[in-house]
Amino acid sequence: MYNRIIRNDMLKSKFITVITMIFVAAAAMLVSLAAILVVNLSGALDNLMTQAKTPHFMQMHSGEIDRERLVDFAEENRNVDEFQVVEFLNMDGAQITLGNNSLAHSVQDHGLSVQNKKFDYLLDLNGRIINVSDGEVYVPVTYMKDNTTKVGDVAVISGKEFIVAGFLRDSTMNSSLSSSKRFLVSNNDYAELLGHGEIEYLIEFRLKDYSLIGEFETMYASVGMEANGPTVTYALFKTMNAISDGMLIAVILLVSGLVVVIALMSIRFTLLAKIEDDYREIGVMKAIGLRLSDIKKIYLAKYALIAAIGSILGFILSIIFKGVLLENIRLFMGESENSSYGLLFGVLGILLVFLVIMTYVSSVLKRFRKISVVEAIRFGTSQEKRAHVNRLTLSRRKLLSTNVFLGVKDVLARKKLYVTSLVVLVISVFIIIVPQNLSNTISSKSFIQYMGIGHYDLHIQSNNPDQTDQIVNVIDSDHDVSKYVVMTTKTFKVKMNNESEENIKIELGDHSIFPIAYSEGRAPASEDELALSDINASEMGKKVGDMITLEIGGDEEDFTVTGIYSDVTNGGKTAKGVFHDNSTNSIWTIISVELSDKSLVSGKASMYADEFDFAKTSDIDEYVSQTFGSTISSIKTASYVSIAIALVITILVTLLFMKMLVAKDRYSIAVMKALGFTNMDIRVQYVSRSVFVLIIGVIVGTLLANTVGEMLARSIISSFGASTFNFTVDPLSAYLFSPLMMISAVLIATIIGTSSVEKIKISENIKE
Amino acid sequence: MNKIIIGEQIVKSFGEGKERHKVLDRVSVEINEGEFVAVMGPSGSGKTTLMFALSGMDRIDSGKVAFDGVKLSDLGEKELSDIRRTKMGFVFQQPTMLKNLNLLDNIILPTVRDNRKNTTAISEKARKLMKRVGIGDFEKRDITQVSGGQLQRAGICRALMNEPKILFGDEPTGALNSKSADEIMNILSEINEDDGTAIMLVTHDAKVAARAERILFMKDGIIVNETKTSKFARKNLENRVEKINLKMRELGI
Ligand SMILES: Nc1ncnc2c1ncn2[C@@H]1O[C@H](COP(=O)(O)OP(=O)(O)O)[C@@H](O)[C@H]1O
Ligand SMILES: [Mg+2]
Repeated sequence: MYNRIIRNDMLKSKFITVITMIFVAAAAMLVSLAAILVVNLSGALDNLMTQAKTPHFMQMHSGEIDRERLVDFAEENRNVDEFQVVEFLNMDGAQITLGNNSLAHSVQDHGLSVQNKKFDYLLDLNGRIINVSDGEVYVPVTYMKDNTTKVGDVAVISGKEFIVAGFLRDSTMNSSLSSSKRFLVSNNDYAELLGHGEIEYLIEFRLKDYSLIGEFETMYASVGMEANGPTVTYALFKTMNAISDGMLIAVILLVSGLVVVIALMSIRFTLLAKIEDDYREIGVMKAIGLRLSDIKKIYLAKYALIAAIGSILGFILSIIFKGVLLENIRLFMGESENSSYGLLFGVLGILLVFLVIMTYVSSVLKRFRKISVVEAIRFGTSQEKRAHVNRLTLSRRKLLSTNVFLGVKDVLARKKLYVTSLVVLVISVFIIIVPQNLSNTISSKSFIQYMGIGHYDLHIQSNNPDQTDQIVNVIDSDHDVSKYVVMTTKTFKVKMNNESEENIKIELGDHSIFPIAYSEGRAPASEDELALSDINASEMGKKVGDMITLEIGGDEEDFTVTGIYSDVTNGGKTAKGVFHDNSTNSIWTIISVELSDKSLVSGKASMYADEFDFAKTSDIDEYVSQTFGSTISSIKTASYVSIAIALVITILVTLLFMKMLVAKDRYSIAVMKALGFTNMDIRVQYVSRSVFVLIIGVIVGTLLANTVGEMLARSIISSFGASTFNFTVDPLSAYLFSPLMMISAVLIATIIGTSSVEKIKISENIKE
Repeated sequence: MNKIIIGEQIVKSFGEGKERHKVLDRVSVEINEGEFVAVMGPSGSGKTTLMFALSGMDRIDSGKVAFDGVKLSDLGEKELSDIRRTKMGFVFQQPTMLKNLNLLDNIILPTVRDNRKNTTAISEKARKLMKRVGIGDFEKRDITQVSGGQLQRAGICRALMNEPKILFGDEPTGALNSKSADEIMNILSEINEDDGTAIMLVTHDAKVAARAERILFMKDGIIVNETKTSKFARKNLENRVEKINLKMRELGI
């Protein structure tokens, strides 16, 4: 008998059943995808880093190295398992052509390497250690992804021709956030090109016990080993490799959470409406002694069926779509060994969604117990629901027209019902505005200031201090330059709290010319002040106002920390100071330049690049767009996709709610028609209900977007290294176009959803 | 005498295919201005359907209905609504009140739709009507906080707000005890006599029909008989009730 009741019920409300099923399917699909992605990402990443034997500790170093001293250090340190010095032959991008494409405009540092013997292997796309022959070059996989080149192309490096024999996965430098890229050539070819570039060293260690990495780092620095360049550990490699797919997973999880909420809301609405509808019947059943659990069982069975079908559908969809989302992981990291677990976790995720839905349905059904037999039989409706809006009466209303008044009053009288659609609208507004603000924020010109980069047009980096003056002379006499500043980076020893010493790179110069944003405090202004990057500050446990001791030219000097800032450059471990120092050589010098006319930027960039071929000239817009461009454009796409999703959700849910309301309220509609209200009048009442709820939804949604949403966005962006920022809001789009879009969607859906008002016949609903 | 309603050869069927059957079979009715007409007949004979047809609430298959000189079949949904709202009043068996509104608001609802500015005057008028039918103290009450008889009185107030030319009542006392029913009928008679509002009342209660000037007897979609009484004769209600009952037995109703 249950079967028949359920079937009839679902056939009667086909549309509602289908929509609910769609939401369940979407939620199930997203949760399953997220689970599959997590499992595959972690599996593939582990696989890659195991096969490649990624270093536990890597110190990049430019300049002379003392190999014997390093070998001694490695042998004496009991925790060192393996040690090697890898050469990275730095090549100017202009010296590399792949097929028809030159890498001249790439902001990455490109270099040649040979295959390593002990660890840090460069792998082919099947995860095998590449054996490269003379005349062949293996190219970083990222250039396959962006279609720069393909297997079989001719590559020209510093005048020598190679054949692109394949692509390589580099467990340390795969990520676009890593600024260097390695090309693999044979030992002979490498030797031949040795004189054409500058050698940088990668000093690499594998440890017996990785958990003691902190101690090892301290030890390495305190004995004064080579450290002229960034230091990277295994954990950081892992983060950098995982970050872009990790963000994708985070976004999917977020959206799937929201879709689950929306699915629950439609179920709640349907159930509440149904209970209100069947109030009298349920009351009568109760009165004649039928068990409520029997009635509950019918509803539970119905939703179990809907949820089950939706879940299965969602699972199938997730299997169809997982290929697209796994593509990136497969390309950069390869297959995961335990990818079948992915499906298992997908199923578990879907089961979770199913359970959440059933638990929710059963909790909504608890209301059955509250149905009063007396009220149900005497009035046919529950009495508590419409209480306490008596102050708002037609006889005393001033502003609203009768129809609008009736619409608003209905919303206030049946709050519980409308809260459901309010929640959905709030979510929709939220997912329209947050990605939009986020996209606006990170593409705004000032955003790079949150990442430790000032607001200038060009920078010229020279690793040879002697050449700096030559550059400064040219810049200083260039009339197109409106401002410039010279920053010298030097390494000093800093005293840690536990009396040990570590290296710290400090950028010295005038930090007021091109200011950056400080998450706390301000830029250093006097000789005894210092600002620290976020990572440095947290590693050293320093706050603004704390003292810090540096060793400068053999003397200890105290500084006050005046500010903390986020930094994405140089592994995020930097500091800024204004003091003068002659005790040590600079590692590099950066001259930041602002031009009076922005249209000159790219021309000047190539001019300086030619003129100072010993230095690296970058156009900042170019730098930002190459480093963050893909992120910016994917967030932009995401923001358009979210708008579309939110509008579709809004339309579907509004349609669903309106259809149900009209079906439910047909008696009142018939009464009003009998009293002489036109179809138009009644539809205006429904439009007033939707618009009233929408206005509240837009206000609440916008407020939430600017508070909770900003926090959320902040936590996403902080994974890029920029920890504090405020939304850059485009008011026109956020406060005018977005609400307008929502209003149009709601209006269209309401107008369509209430078309059945015209079909309601007085004679069929008022029977005597 | 002017006719407020003229119905000619009204046919109305329900159902599809084999199930299709005529509920009104070429029914003709005329109601004069200020006249009090009762329609009697067994359940299912088509009384309500006739009332819906005459008031333009439902379309008819063939025949003609004219209200106040206007042919209803020529009118669209909007014009029909306008006529119902401004020139007709309705009282149903169940109190058809909106749950969201209190008693006063329910009463003024159809009237304020057109006269937003005059809400105060309209409310004042409603209060007077409420006093007149004996529910003056209940204006702020929720519709669930008053009795069925009081709700029905409120329904009458609502129907009278726009001073209709005719008041339709479909078993307005059907759900009430006899004391309440009598009181309602006193009010309706008074309205008919004092205000000159025509009334068409559907009922199967002889005691109710006894108040009317003219009674139409329906059976299976056809008006089978009709009786008329003078005003004077109506004063002797008990006598009249007996006569009606006799007539009904005679007609096999
Ligand atoms: N909307 C409808 N659909 C189908 N049949 C109907 C409908 N309304 C009324 N009927 C049928 O028409 C006949 C007359 O109904 P009605 O006019 O309500 O009778 P009365 O009011 O005299 O009791 C009944 O047999 C009823 O079943
Ligand atoms: Mg009837």
